[in-house]
Amino acid sequence: MRYSTKTRLLTGSAIVSVAVLLSTPLMAQDVTVAFSANELGATAYNPVASSRLNTATSLIFDRLVEQDADQSYHPHLASSWEETPDGMAWTFFLRDGVTFHDDTPFNAAAVQTWIASYAGTENEYLVEAIASVDVIDDLTVRFNMERPEPNLLYNLASAFMGVPSPTAYAALGDDFGVTSAVGTGPYELQSFEIGLETVLVRNEDYTWGSDLSANTGAGHIETFTFREIPDQSTAFLELRTGGIDLLLGVPTDFLQILEAEANIDIIQMPGVGIIYMPINVTSAPFDDILVRQATTMAIDQDSIVAAIYNGVGAPARNFLISSLPEANVDPALNVMYDPTRAGEILDGAGWTMGDDGVRVKDGERLSVDLFTNNTTELTRLTQVVQAQLGDIGMEATITVFDASTIRDEYRENRHQLAVRSYDWNNSDILDWFFSGNRLGYPNVSMWTDVEGQRLNDVAMTESTTSAERIANFTAYHEYVLSQHLFVPIYQPTQNIAFNSTAITVPDPVRGSRFRGQTFVDIQVVE
Amino acid sequence: MILRYTLQRLMMLIPVSFAISVVIFMIVYLLPGDPIDNLLRVGSSAEDRAALIARYGLDRPLLVQYFVWVGNMFQGEFGEAIVLRRPVADLVVQNLPYSLTLGGLAFLFSSIVGMALGAISAVVRNPVLDRFVRGFILLGSTVPGFWLALLLILFFSVNLGWFPVSGAGGWKALVLPVLTIGFGGVALVARVTRVALLDAGREDFVTLLHAKGLSSGTILFRHLMPHALLPVVTILALRIGWILGGAVTVEFVFGRPGLGSLLIRSLGQRDYPVVQACLLMLALAVMLGTLIGDVAQASMDPRIREKKS
Repeated sequence: MRYSTKTRLLTGSAIVSVAVLLSTPLMAQDVTVAFSANELGATAYNPVASSRLNTATSLIFDRLVEQDADQSYHPHLASSWEETPDGMAWTFFLRDGVTFHDDTPFNAAAVQTWIASYAGTENEYLVEAIASVDVIDDLTVRFNMERPEPNLLYNLASAFMGVPSPTAYAALGDDFGVTSAVGTGPYELQSFEIGLETVLVRNEDYTWGSDLSANTGAGHIETFTFREIPDQSTAFLELRTGGIDLLLGVPTDFLQILEAEANIDIIQMPGVGIIYMPINVTSAPFDDILVRQATTMAIDQDSIVAAIYNGVGAPARNFLISSLPEANVDPALNVMYDPTRAGEILDGAGWTMGDDGVRVKDGERLSVDLFTNNTTELTRLTQVVQAQLGDIGMEATITVFDASTIRDEYRENRHQLAVRSYDWNNSDILDWFFSGNRLGYPNVSMWTDVEGQRLNDVAMTESTTSAERIANFTAYHEYVLSQHLFVPIYQPTQNIAFNSTAITVPDPVRGSRFRGQTFVDIQVVE
Repeated sequence: MILRYTLQRLMMLIPVSFAISVVIFMIVYLLPGDPIDNLLRVGSSAEDRAALIARYGLDRPLLVQYFVWVGNMFQGEFGEAIVLRRPVADLVVQNLPYSLTLGGLAFLFSSIVGMALGAISAVVRNPVLDRFVRGFILLGSTVPGFWLALLLILFFSVNLGWFPVSGAGGWKALVLPVLTIGFGGVALVARVTRVALLDAGREDFVTLLHAKGLSSGTILFRHLMPHALLPVVTILALRIGWILGGAVTVEFVFGRPGLGSLLIRSLGQRDYPVVQACLLMLALAVMLGTLIGDVAQASMDPRIREKKS
C-alpha cells in the first residue's frame, strides 16, 4: 500500500519527535542508597518474624508510634493513646483512612491480628507484656496488660513493630517479606534480591505520614534502590563517582575525605550506641574492686575521641547514651580519666610499680588479656587502650577474634578485658548486659550480685509509669557504676553522606535513626 | 574403553563423597561459637536461647544430626538457614548463577589468554617479549587479588569512568571482576603452557617434523599443542572447583553476590546448614573438575587409561 508524501512526512516527524523526546533525559526520580555495613544480610522484610531488618523496612511498614531523637513519642498509625493510671491497659485511637498496599484497610482488627502474630517468634518478647487485645471499634483498640509496661511505646516504635497486612501475611506465610511485603508505608516493595538490592516504589495513596516528616504525603522520590555493598571503601568510591546518591553509615575514617569533596555533604546524628570495655569480675586481679576502679580511670576518653575519631562523636562517661534520661547519674559516678588516682589506688591495693613499668604484687605481674573483635575500628582502638593501660602499669596482651568465636570465649569465661560495642537506645540495655541470668554472654562482666539483681528486677518489671521506670533504671545504673564493671570509652555519631548535586536531605534529621520519616522528605536537585 | 574408565572414576567418587560429607559436617561444629547468638535480641532470656537450640536440633548428638542431614540431602533437602531464615536451597540457587557467571568467564579468559601467552612465550624467540611475558607471569602469580581489584576500580571506574565501581547489573559490571580473577589464572596457565611447549619442543620427533619440511605453525598446532595440553588440562580441571569459591575477596570488593561471599557471611554467623551446603557444593565442583580432568587426559593419552584400567 502506498502512502502519500504528506502521510510519510507526518509519520516521519512523529518518529523523530518521539526519538528526540526519549533521548532527552527525563527528570531523574530514582535515588540509589547504600546500606550501612551493619545492615547487610537481611533476608526478609518481615518485621514480625525476622531477626535482622534494615532501613528499607521503615519505608514499607509504618508503626503505631514514632520516636524522636529526644526520646519523645509521636503519633503515626495511632493518632493518640491513653494509659490507665495503674498501667494495666493502653487504648490506642487509630488514624482513619489508612490502607495497606494491597488496599485492605488498616483498622483495630488488623492490629489485633498483628499482635497475635508475634506468638512463637523470636520477637515475641516485644509484646509479652500484652495479655490480650480488644477491638473497641473500627479505629479503637485496647491492649490489656499482663503487667505495667512503661517501655511499651519504645517497643511499638521499633522497626520490628512495623504493621504488616494481615491478609497478605496469612496468604504468603514464609514467603512474606521475600517475594512480597505489604505494609502501609510510603513505599512499596517492588523487588528484593537477597544480598544485592531492594527496589521500592512510591505509594501514591500515602497521606498519613507522621509529624517527624515535613512531607506527610507520598514521597517526592519515585523509586529508591537500596544496594548492599560489603566493602566500605567500595561504597565510598560509589558515592564519589555518583554510583550511589546516599550512603548510610559512613565510617569516621572517611569523613574528612568526604568533607573535602565539593559534591558530598555529611549529616551527623546523635549515636545510639557505646564503645566500652567490660571487666570480668571473676578473673583475678579484677576480682578486686580496687583494681577494677583503677582500670576505669586509666582510659583517656577525650584523647581517644580526638586522636582516633578526629573529634567526631563524644567521650562516654557511663553505660548509656547521653540522650537517655537514665544517663543523668550522680556526676561523682561518671567515669573520668585520672591516671594519677589510678596509680594511688593500685599502690594501696598492693600493686607496686616494677622497674620495667609493670606492677607486681606477691611476685605476680599485673598482666592481663585484652580481647576484641576483628574490625578495623575496634582493633585500632584496642591498641590505644593497651597503651593507656600500660601507663598505669598494667600489661595487656591483645587477642583479636571474629564475632562468633569471641562470644564463645566469653561463655567459657576465658576473658579478662574486652573492647566491644553495643547499639541500643534504651536503658533496658543494662538488664541485657548485667543481669545475673545471662552470665558469659551477654553479661561479659560475669557479674552476679543480690542487690544488683534486685534493682534490675525492680527496674524491668515493677515500674508502673515512665517516670518511675526512669528513676528505677537510674538507681540501677548508679549501682552498676559503683561496682566498676566496665570502662565507657566512646559515643559514636551516626554519619550519613549524600551527593548534594543529586539530592537534598532535610537537616536536622528527625527521629533517632535515619529512616522512613526522613526518606519522604528527600528530593532530587533540579 | 573410555566409558569403562569414566565409570570406574565415578565409582571412586562414592567413598570420597562420603568422607568429604563427614569432614564438612564435623568441621563446622568444631568451630567455636554457634548461630543462636545471632538470633537473640535484647531482652531474650536463657530459656529463649535453650528453646532456639532445641528448635534447630542443635541439642541432638552430632551423629544423629549428621544422619538427619545426609538423609535430607538424599531427598534434595538442604534444610533451613538458622540465621538467614531461608531455605538453604533457595540461597544457593540465588547465589550460584553469579558465581558460575563470574567464575566461568574468568576461567575462559584465563584459559584462552593464558595458553596464548604461554605459546607466544615458548615459540617466539624474542628476548624482550620473553622477558615481558615472564614478568607478567610473575606479577600475576604474586599480586593479591584484593589489591588488584581496588587498583582496577580506581583506574577504570573512578578515573576513567568506563565501568561501574561495584554491583552485578549488566555486562559492564563483570569486566573488572573477571580481569581481577583472570589475571592470576592467566599467569598460571601461561606458565604451565610455556613449560609444556618447551619440553615438547625438545623431543626428537620435532626435529624429524622440521626435516620433513612442515611449517612451524603446523608443528605447533598439530603436533606440539596436543602434547602440551596434557598438563594444561590438568591445571584447568583443578581450577574448575575454584570457579565457585575462589572469588570471595573479589565478590566482597565489587559488592557482588555469589557462593563465596555467602559462605564467608554464613561462616561468620556460624549458620551451619548454609556453610555445609556451600562447602559441599565446592567439594563437588572440585571432584567434578578432577573427574573431567582425568577423563580428558585419558581420552587424550591412551597410555593413561590403559595403565589405570
